[in-house]
Amino acid sequence: MSLSTKFGDRRGQLAAAVTVVLLLVGGGLMVRALTSPSSPPQPPSEQAIPVAQQTSGSAADATGSSTPPAATSQGGPTFGTILEPSAPVALAIPSIGVRTKGVVKLGLDKNGKLKAPTDFAKAGWYAAGPTPGEFGPAVIGAHVDSKSGPAVFYRLGALKKGAEVSVTREDGSTAHFTVDRVARYSKDNFPTATVYGDTKGRAELRLITCGGAFDHSTGHYVDNIVAFAHLTG
Amino acid sequence: MRTTTKIATVALGSAALLPFLGAGIAQAADGNTMATLRPVVLNGVKANGTAMVTVKGNRIDVTMAATGLLADSPHAAHIHFGADARHECPKASDDAKGDGTINTTDGGPAYGPIVVSLTKTGDTSPKSGLAVDRFDTAPGGKLSYERGSINVSSDVAQAITEGKAVVVVHGVDHNDNGKYDGATKSDLDPSLPTEATDPAICGALSAAPAGGMDTGAGGTSTPDNEGLLLLGGGLLLAAAGTGAFTARKARNRA
Repeated sequence: MSLSTKFGDRRGQLAAAVTVVLLLVGGGLMVRALTSPSSPPQPPSEQAIPVAQQTSGSAADATGSSTPPAATSQGGPTFGTILEPSAPVALAIPSIGVRTKGVVKLGLDKNGKLKAPTDFAKAGWYAAGPTPGEFGPAVIGAHVDSKSGPAVFYRLGALKKGAEVSVTREDGSTAHFTVDRVARYSKDNFPTATVYGDTKGRAELRLITCGGAFDHSTGHYVDNIVAFAHLTG
Repeated sequence: MRTTTKIATVALGSAALLPFLGAGIAQAADGNTMATLRPVVLNGVKANGTAMVTVKGNRIDVTMAATGLLADSPHAAHIHFGADARHECPKASDDAKGDGTINTTDGGPAYGPIVVSLTKTGDTSPKSGLAVDRFDTAPGGKLSYERGSINVSSDVAQAITEGKAVVVVHGVDHNDNGKYDGATKSDLDPSLPTEATDPAICGALSAAPAGGMDTGAGGTSTPDNEGLLLLGGGLLLAAAGTGAFTARKARNRA
């Protein structure tokens, strides 16, 4: 019995040919999808809403500024852990496999926007702001990917609350931060006050990278992923 | 007569336009600004801190946190701005008298006069610049300050958002005896020792970065791998369908 008799029917032949093509194309697509780098992880959307600050400052906000908080009258304000100013030199986030040496200084472009590191393999810090470990929000940014593959903050969107972030500093000390939350924001509606605003006397850290969809017309991602952390030691 | 009317009309027209022009010029951009407070050169105070000023029209909200100041002593704190100042913290070369310290007069060319007094209560105008009973006393050397809705002029609001204003916290215990004293009197108020008014920590306010960051080149965003997986899987399912059809045909023939 030859193949031509077995598949003598035209519709049968056609179906056989279609089957082969579908198997080849479908299998090929799956192989390509599985071998090329996958899209970077994104944080769950509910974390975009900030949790209430756990310091006494929020109570003072509610009652108004006419009555100074009682804490300032005796014994001094209760600040969390605070370190002397010192520039960052290395960054480690064990839970997402980040370990990078040489943190570059970042400035603003002519539109007042924070420039990203030119090196896809390096993290950068906003040098006009606080250093990681002193009062206020220190800001470290890094790329999620280069044109060819993952970069330093590729897995930032997978960072979880409670994870540890260590920043080694110029003076030899290490600032240990604990992640409070990770959120994704549209760049068009970036929460400047939340990211760069007052931290109620705490030393805090912001880790920024890109997220969301990639806009091929601009060559940029449309969202930012921001991890919020505070100094714990 | 006709000419006069014309002139009057033009003058009136211009006058009517003026408020709009004025509004346009005086309109200060709202925004978040921040200063990292660092020891003033030569004065040897081992303190540092951060100040945040949020500008909303002609009102500002101010927060400051600092450590390492002379404990339990009033620390006058101000926002300084002068149109002809350098809008920065003093340099060693500002020590005009060459006495090895920076006093308030030495600081003038760098950051200009007081424009806002960061008092805890009451008046916040330059008049309260030395209202020592209304400034934070830094218990334990730690200063924590928060005050909202301070009225400022349009010029001052604009100077702050444009990065031309400087936050200065005063009070330097030069002789390390735990209090303000010494024979040298303050340039601002001869009833106070210069230790009480010498600038301790200082930082120029600058606007927070605008918007987000461009931190990706898209190398892992395309192709959309989930889409590819779905499409590939779909085609394989279809192949199973046509394969079954083929097999049935073949069985029927047999």
